[in-house]
Amino acid sequence: MTNQSISVVRVRDTLMVTMPADPDDVTVVALQEEVLRAMERYRPKGLVLDISAVETLDSFFARTVTETSRMVTLMGGRTVIAGMRPSVAITATQLGLTLGGTMTALTVDRALNLLSDTRPRRRLR
Amino acid sequence: MANKAKLAVMGTAGETEGLSTQAFLAAIVETSDDAIYGKTLEGVILSWNHGAERMYGYAAAEIVGRPVSILVPPSSTDEVPQILEKLKRGERVDHFETVRVKKNGESFDVSLTVSPIRDVSGRIVGASTVARDITEQKRLREELTRRAKEILDVSTPVLQVWDGVVVAPFIGTLDTQRAQQFMECLLQRIVETNASVALLDVTGVPAIDTRTAQHLIETITSVRLLGAQAVLTGVRPAIAQTLAHLGINLADVVTRSSLSAGLRVALDVLNLKISSRDGEA
Repeated sequence: MTNQSISVVRVRDTLMVTMPADPDDVTVVALQEEVLRAMERYRPKGLVLDISAVETLDSFFARTVTETSRMVTLMGGRTVIAGMRPSVAITATQLGLTLGGTMTALTVDRALNLLSDTRPRRRLR
Repeated sequence: MANKAKLAVMGTAGETEGLSTQAFLAAIVETSDDAIYGKTLEGVILSWNHGAERMYGYAAAEIVGRPVSILVPPSSTDEVPQILEKLKRGERVDHFETVRVKKNGESFDVSLTVSPIRDVSGRIVGASTVARDITEQKRLREELTRRAKEILDVSTPVLQVWDGVVVAPFIGTLDTQRAQQFMECLLQRIVETNASVALLDVTGVPAIDTRTAQHLIETITSVRLLGAQAVLTGVRPAIAQTLAHLGINLADVVTRSSLSAGLRVALDVLNLKISSRDGEA
């Protein structure tokens, strides 16, 4: 198994995570651990999960991301999933993996706007 | 000509003066429009009808005794041994679509049916091949596929009507294939135009059934996953009635009766406002 490493980067008051193209289960679990540890340490107001490189999304990944998002909420932050590819979105929908109510954004830039905006889904342009 | 006249008056017994059952069957083969020829299990041509002469351009006299491989283009020479192998096992080859070459070197599409021929003791001694020229059929089929694709393409436009707003007008009924194409098109355009809002307009949809509604919901969910917001517009009374009667849950979806009302929602999401020059909305 290839060892995929994930880095959780803090930018100002936001955590940034970029997922590799084909995240395996170990990586996904590691992601949750890392994110929660960083949430505790830096107390950021949000997490941006950049999945623009991800080509396949399985149920484990979807579930863990939804879970992580809920945990982040419990710790006082908001999660935005950014950059999902059209093909991934179609597959995810067909498999019924709709990521709960997690916020989504077209790009990381938009995601940052969303997090800095108190009224979600507004002034997105 | 004399033969034909005799055939026409033939009785049910299958025999009439001067024409045996054998000769009768031979005449059927001879006058067939399909190319029919016999060959040995080694692939040597034994008989060759008029249809074959017309189709391949070889006269019977020049081709009987020669191997069938001369009818096969170089690109598919391995087909012959495969077919002969099947025949030796007593199997037939049914409507096998492939390419053959005429005497003048021109290649054409054929459908081949090759069956083993047995002698009285049941031993396989050769094979009969019936070949039909399907060039025209194939061309029509391709034409049809191309047209269908064309209809698919023209029927799923996605238009950018404002910075950050795209409109996808649905026209006609949505089968699974069109819905799939529509979804892909829409998502692609959302990414390209960096759109925040997608208006799915169903004004041009005559009726919505459960499956169409399901496709719409899937599309809306995918749009949301991508990070944009979908608004269903053009919900006419009849459509609203059907949706309610079918018990389709669109609670999470913003819907409007007209495209213009949808555009208002979009502008609202973008935090924009249209006002007249003198300052009044």
